[in-house]
Amino acid sequence: MASSTLMDARWIARGEERAPLSRFLLWLAPWIVLLAIGVYAAGLCLYYGLNQTNMDNRFAFGLWIFLDLGIIALGAGAFFTGFLVYILGRTELKPILNTAVVVGFICYSGAVSILMIDVGQPLRAWFTFWHPNTHSMLTEVTFCISCYLLVLSLEYIPLLLRNRQLKQLPSFFVFEHQLHKLVPVLAAVGTLLSFFHQGSLGGLYGVLRGRPFAFRTGFLIWPSTFFLFILSAIASGPSFLILITATVEKVTGKKLVADRVFRRLGYISGLLLALYVAAKSIDTLVWLNFTSRSEGFAPWQFYSHKPFGTPILFAEIVVLGLLPACLLIPETTRRRRWILLCAAAMACSGVLLNRFVLTVQTLALPTLPFDDFLQYRPSWQEIASFGGVIAYGVILYSLSYRYLPLFAAPKEGDPPHVSGH
Amino acid sequence: MKLTRRDLLAWSAGAAAGLIVTPIPWKILDDTSIWSQNWPWIPQPARVPVEIRQSHCTLCPKGCGLRVRMAAGWAVGVAGMKTHPTSHGALCPLGFGAHQLNWHPQRLREVRHRGNASSWNEAHAAFARASSEGPVVIIDGYPGRAASSVYESFAEKNHGEYRVFRGTELRSLNPYESWTGVPVTSLGYDLENTQTLISFGAPLLDGWGTPGYVTRLWSEKSGGVDDPQLRIIQIEPSLSRTAARARQWLRIHEGSESALASGLARVLMEQNLVPAHPPIPAITISDAAARTGWSEDAIQELARTLVSRPPALAIAANENPTVAALNVLLGSVGARGGIVRKEKISHAYVSASAAISTARAVLIDSSVPWDFAPQTDAEIFRFAAWNGGPTKADWLLPAPGFLEELTDVPTAPALPVETYAVAPALVKTTFELQSAAQFLVGIDSSLTPPEKTIHDRCADLFKNRSGTLHAPESIAIAKIESVQQLKEQLWKGAVWVGEASPPGGLKCELKEWPPEPIPATAAGWADSWQAPVLPPLASKLYIESNLRDAPERRNA
Amino acid sequence: MSARYGMVIDLDRCTGCGSCMIACASENNVPSLPQATARTGLTPLLVRKVSNGEDGERRRAAFIPIMCAHCEHDTPCVKVCPQQAVEVDKATGIVMQMPQRCLGCRYCMTACPYHARYFNWWDPAWPKGMEKSLNPGVAVRMRGVVEKCNLCHARLHAAEEKAAAAGKREIDPADYEPACAEACPTGAIRFGNLADPDDPVSKEARSPEAFRLLAELGTEPKLYYKSKEAWVRALAESNSARNSEVQHG
Repeated sequence: MASSTLMDARWIARGEERAPLSRFLLWLAPWIVLLAIGVYAAGLCLYYGLNQTNMDNRFAFGLWIFLDLGIIALGAGAFFTGFLVYILGRTELKPILNTAVVVGFICYSGAVSILMIDVGQPLRAWFTFWHPNTHSMLTEVTFCISCYLLVLSLEYIPLLLRNRQLKQLPSFFVFEHQLHKLVPVLAAVGTLLSFFHQGSLGGLYGVLRGRPFAFRTGFLIWPSTFFLFILSAIASGPSFLILITATVEKVTGKKLVADRVFRRLGYISGLLLALYVAAKSIDTLVWLNFTSRSEGFAPWQFYSHKPFGTPILFAEIVVLGLLPACLLIPETTRRRRWILLCAAAMACSGVLLNRFVLTVQTLALPTLPFDDFLQYRPSWQEIASFGGVIAYGVILYSLSYRYLPLFAAPKEGDPPHVSGH
Repeated sequence: MKLTRRDLLAWSAGAAAGLIVTPIPWKILDDTSIWSQNWPWIPQPARVPVEIRQSHCTLCPKGCGLRVRMAAGWAVGVAGMKTHPTSHGALCPLGFGAHQLNWHPQRLREVRHRGNASSWNEAHAAFARASSEGPVVIIDGYPGRAASSVYESFAEKNHGEYRVFRGTELRSLNPYESWTGVPVTSLGYDLENTQTLISFGAPLLDGWGTPGYVTRLWSEKSGGVDDPQLRIIQIEPSLSRTAARARQWLRIHEGSESALASGLARVLMEQNLVPAHPPIPAITISDAAARTGWSEDAIQELARTLVSRPPALAIAANENPTVAALNVLLGSVGARGGIVRKEKISHAYVSASAAISTARAVLIDSSVPWDFAPQTDAEIFRFAAWNGGPTKADWLLPAPGFLEELTDVPTAPALPVETYAVAPALVKTTFELQSAAQFLVGIDSSLTPPEKTIHDRCADLFKNRSGTLHAPESIAIAKIESVQQLKEQLWKGAVWVGEASPPGGLKCELKEWPPEPIPATAAGWADSWQAPVLPPLASKLYIESNLRDAPERRNA
Repeated sequence: MSARYGMVIDLDRCTGCGSCMIACASENNVPSLPQATARTGLTPLLVRKVSNGEDGERRRAAFIPIMCAHCEHDTPCVKVCPQQAVEVDKATGIVMQMPQRCLGCRYCMTACPYHARYFNWWDPAWPKGMEKSLNPGVAVRMRGVVEKCNLCHARLHAAEEKAAAAGKREIDPADYEPACAEACPTGAIRFGNLADPDDPVSKEARSPEAFRLLAELGTEPKLYYKSKEAWVRALAESNSARNSEVQHG
């Protein structure tokens, strides 16, 4: 429906077509319910404590950490696209930039919200800033993610301020304009911060001397998982953007982004994925033959506990790594939309599987000679909280899509961008 | 100027930005962290000085020495008394949480009659009436105390009956009572001098006897040593804690301990491995092999092992005459390293499990296990410090619990020497308690109150001039100058130990080889623990770890 | 002179009674919550039962008390704590946990290979009135923080105060003994100063029979074990990743 006839028409950009408000609200309704359940579950955890989850002394990290790591990896599309556009000058990706920022913002704010519930004493969360431990990867992660969330907010605000109504406030208009000049700087800062925190999330596990399954040697103080996480994040980020954008196109019934943007993203993702698979294979071989042997472990023993057998390793590297890379790199396969989407989904799943293996499998495996292999199943509160995050993401994205120029090209009447890019 | 929505928006944005520069949000942040460290619902111990007092545990007849940390009149920590001559600073695991029992939610605080609140006066009146109408049976779970003499006297004076509970250690000595004519409380196991100790399911390293007694002996003489001076051979169907640490664990079929004992006796006699020739067991070696699941060679080898390093001693889990007969054969009755006689004069008591023929009332002391339910229609007066749940008892009478009354500590079961100590009251409750002994003295004032009996006993110890006081330095009684000095030491936690009797003096007559008893097991300190509740700290063993299975509440 | 407090546990003498576990919990005001399980319980000292994996008569069992090993080199938990809520005390070698600073992120729990760290999943609670039986001098922790064995630091503190009151610089070793070592009925748990060459525990730790769990990780734990039983030693020194059905008791 043309925007002029809608109830909330004055909030929608001129000339844009949007569904009637009632249909939009109907779309939002189930997500709002899911969000409410999630908020309730999170409230239970904050009020009663973490005994509401099924985490325990052996599984100190559970579903939340796995999913946090997962969505931060998938949200890497935000910084990477910014890096590609503003630092490497790949302007053909500009149309996807705004949606990347929103997706990134959703992923990071969602992850930070879950992290606030995942700690035992959320009120003391700021102690890391006050008593930082320079040796700890988690300090690094905390600093960088907080700063990066700030960067994302600063990148999101201009988008917010370009809303039709908000744009009309002169002070907001000017503010947005000035902020827009900062964008390349923000992109560079965001890239630097993301490089470090994506890596440090990998470093979280790579430094664990006490967990030979996760422990890796590397370069100086950074274990190899530091670099592998960065690579896998930038490989899956673009794929995730492909999936999100394709989904939005399907839901809204509009063509929002040119095909070549999809294909370019797919190519970048495939290339990086191939690089990642190569690096991961080398790392796995080094780990199997040198690192864990030097700690006294015959590494295939790690895979002797059902269901965490070698098929998982195979799935991670070959089925969900090499295969999508092979589908995304050649133009012939990449050109078909359904192959592109499947490959993108596989790439994202592969990264999620990698995060799962490092979070959950590491903890399930015994460390002491007389330990048991234990299992963990998340409680409904854990699942519901995360469901709430997904619902929050869908709601925020839907609102952004409806009221902000996510996919709009610059129109006549808008002042030209002064940034010179 | 008209205030518009836009102005409001702009000002709000500005205010939010400005607030960050003020100390307000940072102070709030700081305060929240302080709140998170000091939530008011988290209990904190009072900041009071801690005093160390010594006493003895009375939650079972083993009477371990206690080093109690006291703060503001309450016990805040319990440890063993390292200078104690028999417990050597050990306690049973539950003992380390005993100070929590003063506050257990199932603490009995008021007199109850058939589920309704009542009073001490009414209980007195009811008991006085009952005892005037017919005989009273008094059941004592911890015989030998000063309080026990009150029960005995009352029963005697009123034509009633006094019965006692015996733990598994004393029950294992029961057969010798009938064969030697010496009461079981005058017998003990001289484990200090044993070299070969064969246990038929007795949990020697897991709560048998006084905690710390066997374990300390074993630790000093054989823990991890290649050629130990004390070899424990554990005969048991499954790998218990004692079996896991014993020098040898020999697995047998369940219930076949007596068959094995008799089979061993057969081998000892047929192969002339022992000098004496008491009656021959009916069982053949091949029968014994079939019942135990062993080969005949294995039984023969064990028999040879038994005599290879004397003194040898066999201990059964419970009352088992065939194992006792094996000891007779091995010559360990009345010998060094075997079953010895103590000087104390005592007499045999009726067991609590005997059927009650006629009784108008039954008085059950707080030391008797909660599930003990006498088969009788008599009015039951049940003394207890803690309410153990549904009960047949008509009257529930709150008795002193842990460290709440002055009591004495007679010799722990099965020790080879006599000991005596006193457990002073360290903790005072706010509600009214009466022990069964105090109750009876209240009914019949001619009975000697327990405090007087304790004093008399101290006077006797002083008069007899024998034995040693362990307090942390050992002092010969002969060096103590007055009863008052002796009492002072005892009140501070000293322990009197009598002199070891010379071996011999036990004439054992075995007319025929005893029949096999019904198999009975022992559960160590879980059996001995007399309170019907466990301290919450016990959850560490049973709930928060897989270290132990929770003790089954035993049936008497 | 700085001390290095450590322990030698004689596994041949440990009967698995559990006295040490209860004495530890009592000394440190550890709550006992009925809703806790073996996986969510708070047992700063935990005795594990192990076996040689055989069945029938050939089965053997032993008990291994596990508590914080107070690692000296590259201490895993110290390295990973984002807010320095745990540090190695240079004067004593004790790895000190500060529950007041702990955020409850549980990263240290993933880092510790001995599973010696425990999280307060619930707020502590005792039956009404039982707070009066709590040990003065040891603060009760609230939910959401990690805790572990700290070698009964309150007792060290008391020993230091006693020495200071007597005008001395060094504590009398007899005044400082953790609750577990004090409680052990067989003397299997022995505590001492590994930096003192004359300390009998120090000598035992240096003897060839002494070994440490996961020594190959290189964290230099100060918790030593000894056993003359070959299977116990082989089990303890084996690596862990083998199929656990074979190993646990």
